Amino acid sequence: MPTVYVTYTPKNNGKPPENLISAQAGKETLQLVPVEIGSDKLNCIQAAQRAGVFIPHYCWHPALTVVASCRMCLVEVGERKPDGSIAMTGKLVPGCQTPVKDGTVVVTNSQKVVHEQAQTLESLLLNHPLDCPVCDKAGECLLQDYTYEFGRATSRMIDLKNTPANKPDLGPNIALFTDRCIMCSRCVRFTREIAGTAELQIINRGNHSEIDIFPGEPLDNKLATNVVDLCPVGALCSKDFLYKHRVWNLKTQNSVCPDCSTGCSIHLDGNKNIVYRLRPRENPQAQGYFMCDEGRLGYHYINSKERFLRPLRRQDGKLTPFSYDEAIRTVRQMLKDAVAKDAFGVVVVLSPFLTCEEAFLLAKYAKSLSKAVQLALGPVPIVGEDDTYPKDRRGRPIQPVKFTIRAEKCPNRQGVERILRHYQGQLIAFDEVVRQAEAGKLQLLYLAASYPPRGDGWLTAEQAATLGKVGQVILHDLYPSRASEIAHVVIPGGAFAEKDGTFVNHAGLAQAIHWAITPTGECRTEGQVVLDLMQRPGLLHAATLRKELASEVKAFAALASGDLGEYGILLDSTK
Amino acid sequence: MAEFEPVLLRRILKNASPSLEAYRADGGYRALDKALAMSPADVTKAVVDSKLRGRGGAGFPCGVKWTFLPKDHPGPIYLCVNADESEPCTFNNRILMHQDPHQVLEGMIIASYAIRAQVAYLYIRYEYGDATRAMQQAIDEAYAAGLLGKNILGKQGFDLDVYIHRGAGAYICGEETGLIESLEGKRAWPRIKPPFPAVEGAFRKPTIVNNIETLACVTHILDRGPEWFKSMGTPADPANPRDAGSYGPKLYCISGHVNKPCCVELPLGVTARELIDKHGGGVWKGRKAKAIVPGGISMGFLTADEIDTKLDFGSLGPFTKNGCLGLGTAAVTVIDEETSMVDVLYNICRFFEHESCGQCTPCREGTGWMLKIVDRIRKGLGRAEDLNILEEVGHQIGIMPGTTICGLADGAGWPVKQAIRKFRAEFESYIKSGKKTHTLQLVAAH
Amino acid sequence: MAPASHPSGDKRFKILDVTMKRHLYQHDALIEVLHKAQELFGFLELDVLLYVARGLKLPPSRVYGVATFYHLFSLKPQGEHTCVVCMGTACFVKGADRLLAAIEQQAGIKAGQTTPNGKLSVMTARCIGACGIAPAVVFDGVTAGQQTPETVQQQLKGWL
Repeated sequence: MPTVYVTYTPKNNGKPPENLISAQAGKETLQLVPVEIGSDKLNCIQAAQRAGVFIPHYCWHPALTVVASCRMCLVEVGERKPDGSIAMTGKLVPGCQTPVKDGTVVVTNSQKVVHEQAQTLESLLLNHPLDCPVCDKAGECLLQDYTYEFGRATSRMIDLKNTPANKPDLGPNIALFTDRCIMCSRCVRFTREIAGTAELQIINRGNHSEIDIFPGEPLDNKLATNVVDLCPVGALCSKDFLYKHRVWNLKTQNSVCPDCSTGCSIHLDGNKNIVYRLRPRENPQAQGYFMCDEGRLGYHYINSKERFLRPLRRQDGKLTPFSYDEAIRTVRQMLKDAVAKDAFGVVVVLSPFLTCEEAFLLAKYAKSLSKAVQLALGPVPIVGEDDTYPKDRRGRPIQPVKFTIRAEKCPNRQGVERILRHYQGQLIAFDEVVRQAEAGKLQLLYLAASYPPRGDGWLTAEQAATLGKVGQVILHDLYPSRASEIAHVVIPGGAFAEKDGTFVNHAGLAQAIHWAITPTGECRTEGQVVLDLMQRPGLLHAATLRKELASEVKAFAALASGDLGEYGILLDSTK
Repeated sequence: MAEFEPVLLRRILKNASPSLEAYRADGGYRALDKALAMSPADVTKAVVDSKLRGRGGAGFPCGVKWTFLPKDHPGPIYLCVNADESEPCTFNNRILMHQDPHQVLEGMIIASYAIRAQVAYLYIRYEYGDATRAMQQAIDEAYAAGLLGKNILGKQGFDLDVYIHRGAGAYICGEETGLIESLEGKRAWPRIKPPFPAVEGAFRKPTIVNNIETLACVTHILDRGPEWFKSMGTPADPANPRDAGSYGPKLYCISGHVNKPCCVELPLGVTARELIDKHGGGVWKGRKAKAIVPGGISMGFLTADEIDTKLDFGSLGPFTKNGCLGLGTAAVTVIDEETSMVDVLYNICRFFEHESCGQCTPCREGTGWMLKIVDRIRKGLGRAEDLNILEEVGHQIGIMPGTTICGLADGAGWPVKQAIRKFRAEFESYIKSGKKTHTLQLVAAH
Repeated sequence: MAPASHPSGDKRFKILDVTMKRHLYQHDALIEVLHKAQELFGFLELDVLLYVARGLKLPPSRVYGVATFYHLFSLKPQGEHTCVVCMGTACFVKGADRLLAAIEQQAGIKAGQTTPNGKLSVMTARCIGACGIAPAVVFDGVTAGQQTPETVQQQLKGWL
């Protein structure tokens, strides 16, 4: 088995790994962690990572080409001979550019390496303004982190620093603090290799190099804000987040972007019941490393003051608030009465924004009232066509595709459909519901909607007019819309940032979402509402429900452990 | 030693016409005939046997470089000719191209034959307008005479097209992969190696990059044979297996504070003293030399005491007593005793700060910092510790310690390190004298 | 396909078209095309860079990056006359900085600038390979050797 050896650096609180070996390299004795690499093509950084050793780096990024220019990842390499002795090359090499093979020894802690890391950091800080107190990146800045871990405490430079002008309008969503830049060129490579739009370039030369756009051609593409995450320092900042919050006060949860069926894994950053930003979370099974700006910046509705905060009922034609407990009792009674009268006339509509657990609970509850109650899928918003990147100069997609923004603008059609198929047997589309309403066959409509406010609203005027003829309409939703105009009872819904649960993306990947904020006012997530309707005690616990779902619905059998891990679990294909 | 008969400058010294007709009348293109009678492998072997080392600065054995090309590559293979002569005080390529272009062109054609290149790019710095025109003229003549184009001189299957590519003002284009990037119409950022250009160079195809003077030497090696070439210069040290020797003639440029600045051709291994006194007419104004730049400013300095150092590949180097970076371009610049080394170093730092491509952190930031420090010292605000910082930074940047992608950084750091080491007393007394010509605002760093 | 010429109708764009066509609109011709553009227009206006970018089908940012990398390309208008002082080591040790100081004083501008009346641009160059005749100054493309502050000031008198 091909094995690479990485030097072990003792840590304050860590125990040395059990497989640690000692080997002689000239006069020096090296403590090495062996790591098997199989047939993988790895560089020193990746190999070291597998051995649990971190090699600091700036310019290298697994999704981008190697330029080996920041010189932060310098290491020494050697070879372990069959007799166990080690021959070192005696030269520093960039870890990102140096592939490892069987017997490669990666030295990350020699005096030479440690000295050079400090030297590189000193160089990077020569012209850096050190304006951390007002910098957005402070707290999650790799220049801070590495300087703390590998750098010097003080600079020996007393001369004036270069002060290139800032570029606050690099793009509609991006500001560039030019003087903070360390010229790693990740952003430039991103716009060329992933977005393909190539708006960014390094201009000038040497000590006066800067990141810039061609004047008048802003950094404006649907993936643009990824450069902010790629930027290891505070040079590229998202205008959306700029000066809003210190990052160390943010509480981060793993979640999934609900804006399209790609289901990008994200970090959801919030504090005190406000969502401040969404960042892509690396997931090789989902989208890779990035996310689109639509999803990233589409979260503001969660924080909006326009949301429904209390249950409402229609009295004298007007929606008026009433208490949550009363609302639950009312809805339960309405359903009971309607089912008793004509169960076929009761339709429960599940939107593709519900989590699998919510859809499961609601379906189970509805069918427990009567097998005849119909379950249908809510409208699936489709906008345009799948949008793939990179693109060429004329905006035409290029192969191979590295990122796709999908036309299906919802996170969980796949999950909800699987549940509907199980409980209803066949899939009833929303149009069928409208047809039944038109024909006067419906007496109660239960709309578990909670669509984010996009475009013209989730219900067309014609649909709303038709559904308005149904005798009783119960609605879960976030915002006043055409749907609430026809509703008799409105129960405020929860947004994805408030939910624990599972989304299944276009490829059948089941990923966990976690709540970062709690619903305000008398809002409850749909899942909680259904639990209350079912009179199941306690709060919603996603993992428990997931196990229940896996045991009851075959399509979800793969989730039997209740734990989806960081990257999620692929369900069987639906095809 | 018998009086040396110039070879590369032979026609130039007698003011011969640069025309094809005159060049042929002087025995020109005889070497090409000989080469075409041989197999490409034999031509390469002749160049390997001659132990010709590249004249561009690094001194890599030329023939060996050619053998790095992948065997049986279906092509295309490119020859890139490096005429971006940018090392300060170096002008031998300009003279060769301007006054005897066919000698260079013949070398290019022979080299292309040897490496099976069908396209050769001649990258000339933009400042060399006259040389560019002379080369273009020579290329046009060569096409007309069947020396370029299809089936050259009736040799079936040997085709060659030569294109001139003008630079646009960047020292880094002298670095072979920087040159290739520039040739492709990009910012001349040197590429990471491997892959080396011989495997993947211009337009991602195998490419050989050679200097003008190297190719001129190739012409004569084919004409007179490797043994003739090896009869000149400093033989390899038998005790040092890594010494490849310094063979053949070399164009030395002499400038600075000498009475007769000139370009002179001598066998490798001439001493600095002989060059200055015999060929440069001695130091001007009856003064003494304080420092001698042995091969372009990136190589460092020789002190007056080291004036008897031989100027060849083996006698100058990081592991020799003088500690210079190498022979470089063999452009000797004399600095007289009246000149301040602080000023000289300032000028050098300014050059490299301006010419660093900005790709690798240590070089981009290091060149800028060194300039700021030397500028401050020059303005009378130096501190004793500044010299240590300069020496440390100068020592740490470059491809030799492994901290950068290309060798520009070595060249930027070397003269700084050497100036401080060899002329420390002068810098110290300058700092102590507190000479102040400007006031500079100081800012507190972190 | 040849791009439509520039809407301004400026004939110089036609000449630029011819240059690009001769190079078959290849990306690697960028530097040569920029040289031609600078010859035609005197400097590289953003409009010209954009035109070249469209012609060669390159991202404008890349053209901009190249134009700012090479120091012979100028994105600012140049004076009617140019005076380039060589700052190579040989010229420097023979007094190029004094030449430059004399020129800057006489013209009232710093190196890299153009006089307000647009008559003269003063620039510095790295070594121009004229070390044999150091110190050298290039007046409107003609190299003059063995210069002194006096000879330089004499030359510039008529130009200011």
